[in-house]
Order: sequence, then structure tokens, then C-alpha cells
Amino acid sequence: MASTDHEDRRDEEETTVAAEDEDTGAHIAPIVKLEEVAVTTGEEHEDAILDMKAKLYRFDKDGNQWKERGVGAVKLLKHKETGKVRLVMSQSKTLKICANHLVLPTMSVQEHAGNDKSCVWHAADYADGELKDELFCIRFASVQKRHIHVNRVF
Amino acid sequence: MALPNQQTVDYPSFKLVIVGDGGTGKTTFVKRHLTGEFEKKYEPTIGVEVHPLDFFTNCGKIRFYCWDTAGQEKFGGLRDGYYIHGQCAIIMFDVTARLTYKNVPTWHRDLCRVCENIPIVLCGNKVDVKNRQVKAKQVTFHRKKNLQYYEISAKSNYNFEKPFLYLARKLAGDPNLHFVESPALAPPEVQIDMAAQQQHEAELAAAAAQPLPDDDDELND
Repeated sequence: MASTDHEDRRDEEETTVAAEDEDTGAHIAPIVKLEEVAVTTGEEHEDAILDMKAKLYRFDKDGNQWKERGVGAVKLLKHKETGKVRLVMSQSKTLKICANHLVLPTMSVQEHAGNDKSCVWHAADYADGELKDELFCIRFASVQKRHIHVNRVF
Repeated sequence: MALPNQQTVDYPSFKLVIVGDGGTGKTTFVKRHLTGEFEKKYEPTIGVEVHPLDFFTNCGKIRFYCWDTAGQEKFGGLRDGYYIHGQCAIIMFDVTARLTYKNVPTWHRDLCRVCENIPIVLCGNKVDVKNRQVKAKQVTFHRKKNLQYYEISAKSNYNFEKPFLYLARKLAGDPNLHFVESPALAPPEVQIDMAAQQQHEAELAAAAAQPLPDDDDELND
């Protein structure tokens, strides 16, 4: 995980690894019975033309500030027949979708003023299953990675 | 259990009660899961706030109704009245404040008076902070009471999915249950309105000048 405090925590972790993996919980009768279901990603007809780790932010207009949206894998998916490209990002660990929108030729991507590993753009986002106007900022691990991303978008 | 004004869903849902001293990070933890943001500002919760939180698993979608209760006594509202029909629980303490761990037995006792035999996770939050007051090996309460313990950080997301995963596994009696990528359906086409686009670009230029909240942390592949 992205954190600056790994150093100090590392020795803690060593002593707790066993405790964490160990189930010390009581044996409690389950209250539901769930059956395994077929899992679909909704990406079956697309090819990933980019897949990189990044951190996504959304702009909170009311508070006039950027807010974290998720850390995870950002993908550019190109439809095998229509050629349409969309950006899909899923949060690591919980695997929840935090961005899902079409990449349109009219979309302008700008560099973030204070961070050259980041870029910003506007999109009508569908991550929650309804279209929402969002301003996004994405931060990559390096400037090179941002360039790769921006070049694929255009 | 859903509130009367809340939409019921056609997939399994569980009432999750979250308790612990004020300032231990219960609301921040829930918010982190809901929107992804990390709230630095402390605003005590008054009474309770209920938030639905969905997860996709290999056994379908599930929902936790998170009952994020007030930690501060003076804002307690109905207190253990909120625990009724709780099906699972998280007890949170702050590893940088010893007193919050000392109070865990009281939270546990009050919870168990109302909710018998529910799966409970004890969470030691803020493990990203360098000066811990409660070391991992000093945390022993969970062993006596058969709780699961996780060290977490709502700030760094360390173990932040574990409490939900553990509870889901216990509630379903399936130790192999896991999260899966939620289906991302094709977004519908939108018509581009020139005026709207110009407005978006102006907003974008202004937003690009605002600093990011956590510019300095690493992002490793």
C-alpha cells in the first residue's frame, strides 16, 4: 500500500502476522447460505490497451478541493468491434469500480499544475451506474507512466 | 436491517454495528469505503449515521448497512438502542491512544448484552502513525472473547478490506468467499454540448491549480 510509514510498522507486522492470519473468532452459525455465481466483468468484448497502477482523485466543487477516489489498476479498454475506448479503474483489494467512462475525442487532458506525475480531465462517469459529471485527476508512479497514459488516450 | 426510508435490495444485506471511543476513526473508515476519500477533519458523530455499503463477491453482491455510532458519550443518542438486530459488529480503537483500547471491554460488554453470538472484529486503527501507544503484542482482548483482530489504517488503506471480508465469510459460513471485480457496464453515449464543454474546461483549469491532498506519498507498482 502507498504509505510513508512502512519502516516503523514493519517490525510490528512481523510480530502480528501470525495473529492476523489466525482466526480467533468464535464459531458462529452462518445466517445466510450463498451460492457461487458466475462472475462477469463486463469487459469480455474489449482488449486492454493499457493497465497501470495509479491513484485517482475527484474534484469536490463545493469544497473546491481534490478528494481521493481510489488506488488501483486503471485500464483503457478498446472494444473489439466498435473500436470505442473507455477508461475503467478498480480499487485494489475491494475491487470496486471507481471510474468507468468513455474516452471521447473531445476530451482534453491537462497536466496538474503542482504535480507532473498527474493529469486532469472531465468525464461523464458511470462508475455508480448513473452518469455523473466529474473532474478527475490521476497520479502515476512516474512522469514516464503519465506520458504513456496520455499518449494512449489520444 | 434497513431503515424504513431506505431502499431494500434483492440481495443479502446485514446490519453492521460500528462502536468504539470518539476519534478512533469509525466515520473516516466508513467514508473511505463509501467514496474513497480520507477525511482528516474530526467532526464527532451525533447519535448514529447509517450507510449502505455494497461488495461484490464470488457468491454475488452483498450489502452491509453500516451503523456508524457516536463514540463520544455526550453525543451517544440512543446508545445501545442502535445495536438492536445487529448481525455483526466492528469495535474500533486507536493504537495511538491507550485509553481507547482500555475502553474496548466496555464497548464489547454493552454490545453483547444486546447482540448475542454475532461475529465481531476488533480493529486497531491508525497503525500508519509512528508513535504507537498500543503495540500489537499488547492487544490480547480478542483472544479472551473470541473476536477477530486486525491492525488497520484508514489513512494508508492497510488491511482496510479485511474486517468486511471476515464478517462476510462468517455470516455466509464460507471461508473461501472473496471479493471479485464488480461488473463495469458499458457507459451510455452522451451528447456533447459546446457550452457545457467550455464550462467543463474552465472548471478543469481551476481544478488543475488546486493541490492534491497527499502529493508526497509513494505509489509503487
